[in-house]
Amino acid sequence: MLTIEAGGDGVVVLKGRLDAAQAANAQGFLDRVSGTVTLDVAGLEYISSAGLGVLLKTQKRLMASAGKLRLAGVSPHLRDIFAYSGFDQLFEIEPAR
Amino acid sequence: MDARAPRHRLSARDLEAILGVTTALAQPFDLTTMLAEVVSAAKQVLKADRGSVWLYDPAQEELVLEVATGIPALRVPAAAGLVGACAQSRTVINVPDCYADPRFDPRVDRASGYRTRCMLTLPLIDHRGVLVGVMQVLNKADGTFDAGDETLAAALAAQCAVALQRVRMTEALIEGERMRQELAMARDVQMSTLPSVMPALPGYDVFGVSRPAEETGGDTFDLIPLERGLGVVLGDATGHGIAPALSVTQMQAMLRMAFRLGADLPTAFRNVNDQLAATLADDRFITAFIGVLDPHGHRLEFHSGGQGPILHLSATTGACTSYRPTSFPLGAMPLANLRPSVTLDMHPGDVVLLISDGVYEYHDPDGRLYGEARVEAIARSHGARPMAELAVRILADVEAFARGASQQDDVTLVLVARAPATAVRRFPRRVDALPALVAFTAAFVAAQDIEATLLGPVDFAIEELFTNMVKYGRPGGNEVELALARIAGGVDVALTDYDVEPFDPTRAPDADVTLPIEQRTPGGLGIHLTRRLVEGLEYRYAPERREARITFRKTGESVEPGQGEAR
Repeated sequence: MLTIEAGGDGVVVLKGRLDAAQAANAQGFLDRVSGTVTLDVAGLEYISSAGLGVLLKTQKRLMASAGKLRLAGVSPHLRDIFAYSGFDQLFEIEPAR
Repeated sequence: MDARAPRHRLSARDLEAILGVTTALAQPFDLTTMLAEVVSAAKQVLKADRGSVWLYDPAQEELVLEVATGIPALRVPAAAGLVGACAQSRTVINVPDCYADPRFDPRVDRASGYRTRCMLTLPLIDHRGVLVGVMQVLNKADGTFDAGDETLAAALAAQCAVALQRVRMTEALIEGERMRQELAMARDVQMSTLPSVMPALPGYDVFGVSRPAEETGGDTFDLIPLERGLGVVLGDATGHGIAPALSVTQMQAMLRMAFRLGADLPTAFRNVNDQLAATLADDRFITAFIGVLDPHGHRLEFHSGGQGPILHLSATTGACTSYRPTSFPLGAMPLANLRPSVTLDMHPGDVVLLISDGVYEYHDPDGRLYGEARVEAIARSHGARPMAELAVRILADVEAFARGASQQDDVTLVLVARAPATAVRRFPRRVDALPALVAFTAAFVAAQDIEATLLGPVDFAIEELFTNMVKYGRPGGNEVELALARIAGGVDVALTDYDVEPFDPTRAPDADVTLPIEQRTPGGLGIHLTRRLVEGLEYRYAPERREARITFRKTGESVEPGQGEAR
């Protein structure tokens, strides 16, 4: 399961599993955000390549209007995935505290 | 049914009209025609000026206006306006004066220039109680819709719902089959571009294999002979359906072209990335390893867009080094700054393993991942074998790990090995040749930078096997050949005896080392210890050539004598 909700102050909180089954749901939500958005992924247990695609599409859309997607609360596991996929070069990443 | 209005009886004329409609709706129409038929039937039966049908899309929780006379398609949330209220309550809503009703959305009128006076909105619910959509009829010819119209409309709506649902399901089935066929074709194209013959490269052993998953996946690999060496490519496009198959095929063609035109690695990588960024959909990308192997300088230069881990097994140390990508996946974005490429030095016996995530992320029935450590373990134990064999071993291990769990993603391996360093010499079959064998082995171990502590057990085994050959072979016969090869973390040894009868010393029974001292004999102890000092002791006899060959290997991971005794 995946939950995605606005946490105030331009923060969007993602929890659960962002896989192919949940990608459309997450994309639908992220299509409506704008400006600089911090994605709190501390509660995100899993992300598949479909999920990475959602983040990429959102990043491109936001960057086109001088905004961006930042990732906060990135667990070591997610950090590995971002490093292995080279996505750490596309997003500002703040590790989990 | 609506509890507010008493149920009106349908007149014989009404029934006739509805039956006529039912017959018409039984035709095998496509969805667009069926919608038009439903609207036209409703207009006719209810004497309305216009009508429209909103189809319910449960995935998006939206109502979709597919057909309305003179109005373009429109999507609204399933809770908005009069149609939304009707979808939620699943009851007929009769509004005699629309502009007096706050739920009425005048935007449709504004878009069409039409003025809606009165409107009957009714839910389309099929025989199993599933909401198919919402039908609206507007502007009754002689006044407003009454309770009789509501009853008539409800009877009509039930027929329309069933007919629409039937058409929708049929179309979904046909669409599914069409998609399946198109996907199969795209996958065929994707697989047909893979090299079927491995390029021959002196001093190297290169092997690639791809096993497609049943449904989706976008793996490719390529081995491109170039003037300066060999282009080595492993790619994996994201997504489901036809798109990944098409995009990897596209990437492969671009790369071949770039290399053929003489582009260097960074130029090829950058241009293919930027071209893919311009053409791929915003949420698509391809993870890819792109390397150029120089077989003379023994260097593999690579860029990796999100493809990893890249494993490099060093034959010198037996260690596996895992490299990360140099860039983000191809096509994700245009490249502003490309980091420098990485160059691996290929020493004799070194192996580079490029493996798609279909292997690393293979799940067993308990949801565990296959992972990197298993690949490394097989690489270390079998890295000296031909790459085709190493690939088969990895695939077999994945299969054993899966315990029947189905393959979810394409599985692709590209393995590149530099031939191990070898030394071969023949020695007279005489015991006094032993010092020459020992000197030859010591020189090889030193030259190849093989761990010196391995020399003792290797010498022991060579001496034991060589003296056996001298003892049991024909005196004064042919020479014995000693072949040494550098392997990961150690040395591979083969002793070949020519023109001899079969005699397999490795089948000699173990010495009973528990006997009291007075019953112990030195016989059999040599093989007993050899078995424990080295790995993979194997005897093979080729009768047609009368040739006996004993092979073994010794690496830092071999069992130590003390541990061997304990087992």
